Amino acid sequence: MPPVRKKPWPIRAGATTPAAPDTHNPPHNPQYAFALDEPVTPPVAPAATAIRRLWFCAYLPQLPLEASGPANEARVVVEEQQGIHRVLLASPQALEAGVQPGQSANAALALLPKLRIEERSMLREQQALEALANWLEQFTSVVCIADRDVLLIEIAGSLRLYGGLLNLRQQIAEGFERQGLSASLAIAPTPLAATWLARAGRRACIREPANLAPALRTLPLACLDWPAATLAAITGMGVTNVGDCLRLPREGFARRFGPQRLLEFDRALGRLPDPRRSWRAPEIFCIDYEMTEEQSDREGLLAVCHELLLSLERFLLTRQLGTQRLQFSFFHLRAPATQLVLGCARPERLAGHWVDLLRIRFERVTLAEPVIAVRLYGGRNQALQAESGRLAFYDKAGGRRLRYSMSQLVERLAARIGPQSVQGVATVAEHRPQKAWRLQGLLGDRAATTLSAIRHSLQRPLWILPEPTLLCAEQGFPMLDGRLILLEGPERLETGWWDEDGITRDYYTAVNPLGMHLWVFRNRNRASDWYLHGFFG
Amino acid sequence: MRRDTSPVDKLLENPRLWRGRNPAQGMAGLASGYAELDRHLPGGGWPRQALTEILIDQYGIGELRLLMPALARLSADDDSADVTEPGWIAWVAPPFQPYPPALQEWGINLSRMLIVRPKSDSEMLWSAEQALSSGTCAAVMLWPAVLDDQASRRLQLAAEKGSSWAIAFRPLAARVESSAAALRIALQAGQSGTRLSILKSRGGRPAVLHDVL
Repeated sequence: MPPVRKKPWPIRAGATTPAAPDTHNPPHNPQYAFALDEPVTPPVAPAATAIRRLWFCAYLPQLPLEASGPANEARVVVEEQQGIHRVLLASPQALEAGVQPGQSANAALALLPKLRIEERSMLREQQALEALANWLEQFTSVVCIADRDVLLIEIAGSLRLYGGLLNLRQQIAEGFERQGLSASLAIAPTPLAATWLARAGRRACIREPANLAPALRTLPLACLDWPAATLAAITGMGVTNVGDCLRLPREGFARRFGPQRLLEFDRALGRLPDPRRSWRAPEIFCIDYEMTEEQSDREGLLAVCHELLLSLERFLLTRQLGTQRLQFSFFHLRAPATQLVLGCARPERLAGHWVDLLRIRFERVTLAEPVIAVRLYGGRNQALQAESGRLAFYDKAGGRRLRYSMSQLVERLAARIGPQSVQGVATVAEHRPQKAWRLQGLLGDRAATTLSAIRHSLQRPLWILPEPTLLCAEQGFPMLDGRLILLEGPERLETGWWDEDGITRDYYTAVNPLGMHLWVFRNRNRASDWYLHGFFG
Repeated sequence: MRRDTSPVDKLLENPRLWRGRNPAQGMAGLASGYAELDRHLPGGGWPRQALTEILIDQYGIGELRLLMPALARLSADDDSADVTEPGWIAWVAPPFQPYPPALQEWGINLSRMLIVRPKSDSEMLWSAEQALSSGTCAAVMLWPAVLDDQASRRLQLAAEKGSSWAIAFRPLAARVESSAAALRIALQAGQSGTRLSILKSRGGRPAVLHDVL
């Protein structure tokens, strides 16, 4: 192993002396021989520079606090550091009372006894970030969760649609404000530059790559989000901002702080490509809502469900999808969760539609206990089929007024009395009476075609019994409120060996003294018992 | 020029005067497919947008056969129908299973059948009301265990709202109860055939028919 040559670091802040190429220890890569901000030919030429990228960065410094609830009360988020719970972030009310970040939780509580203290929850922050990414997907198709508090979106392709950079920026800023989030926004041609600018709190909007380096020069080193040890080492050398850093020789910089840091600068300045993985929302929608307190009021719960359904609607809207099944889970403190499944005849995404169904279902549901959390799980998504509307004059006067469509009627009925209780029917090509028909679900795909009308000209009753019932007999004659008179028959229906459900029956049309027309049969091979199978209604 | 109208004509023009039988008044009925019955029904058929009660004590005496021709026409995918979606036929709480092959035999469009099996009487009335007022069902048949005056009124209103035909099957004993139905028919079977009695007919007269079916 070659001994590491100690090379004195040039102690000079501001002076620019290009580092001479080291003859004794030739660098592995010739580009290390230049100062950081000197343009070098990148080892990988960027693909045709015609594609101009523009990155929008949103930095959310208050996310741990804001993700856990509204900011209109005295709250702090604490994090355990070396065994002591210390205040990480405090709401404005808490700050006013003298609570400071870095204080111990006990000290903060002493200052403000009614302070609400919450443990930092990375999970909740991640969920909040994902919800935001979801929301940002309406502006562009490239959304990245770059860090635990940084969101990046690529907006060059969306500028025209949203009426220019300023409009787009304003729309996004208003969106963050509406959601109660304080975000620091910046726009730059490279993702890292945008991130640094946003971290530094500069309301920068840089469109030209040429303007990038001057803008970055004045940034403090803290916005690089480097490990504390690295930062301490570099500030110890008298380097305080990015501009100073850029004047350092590449080779020495890479050796002391690692090639990774050098790469960061190259990427921020646009010398090297910085590919980003775009965030993709899961295809199945699932969202939780935790109540601040136990909730048993139905209207309150409905309002919460409406919120969840609205986010489902947004989710489906960005994907041009609809869903046919939803599942709500209502969690209780001590009892198992109450499940509620909603079905829809056609893929649907409108929240208002689902709320109507939910309201009907809610009347029938008994909740064992107050609810502490609600989960909405969206089932399989399907592409929405657009339907053309009707012209207004088509509805002739006196025609039937549609209050809602058939599928909506089926949904409403199914929501109240259960999907198994609402059925359609179809015929089956089968000679055995029991199997010549089937129930057909109306919820879901109705593509299964029914048999085209084949007229058999057979005597079949309009009513059929689910199972044939045994008739009592008198001297071999079947009885039902008196002796039956056989009018027609026999019609012999036989076999079915292929599914072990074979029959050998002689069917007759009969009438009893009350005038009821019946469909009766006798098994040919077995005892001569008579069975009733239907009524000619 | 017309001469001065007679006092009787003047009186007849008064809108406050209710006339027992005015064929010009009501809308045309829905042809039942049985000429004898049509002759005795006002408008020449089943009353549209109204509640019809059929009182029976036994099944299998032709209670469905009576309706089949009219239902077949309502469910047909007919272009001449003045509806945006051709009519569905709803069966709410039928006592047995309607048998699809036989329905098809009668010309009923099976893809427009809706069979609802509610678990309680109140659910049944709710379902029937929903189906009637939705405007998508051309006819709604229901088999209630009890149907009081108020419930029949609600069904009647729902039928008007959704321009639908409600048919309630009830026991013969219900003939003494009051009802908001536009038409009440009792079916009684005997050895000689089914006797059909029109007990109440809005704008028509009671009658007893013997050989309808």
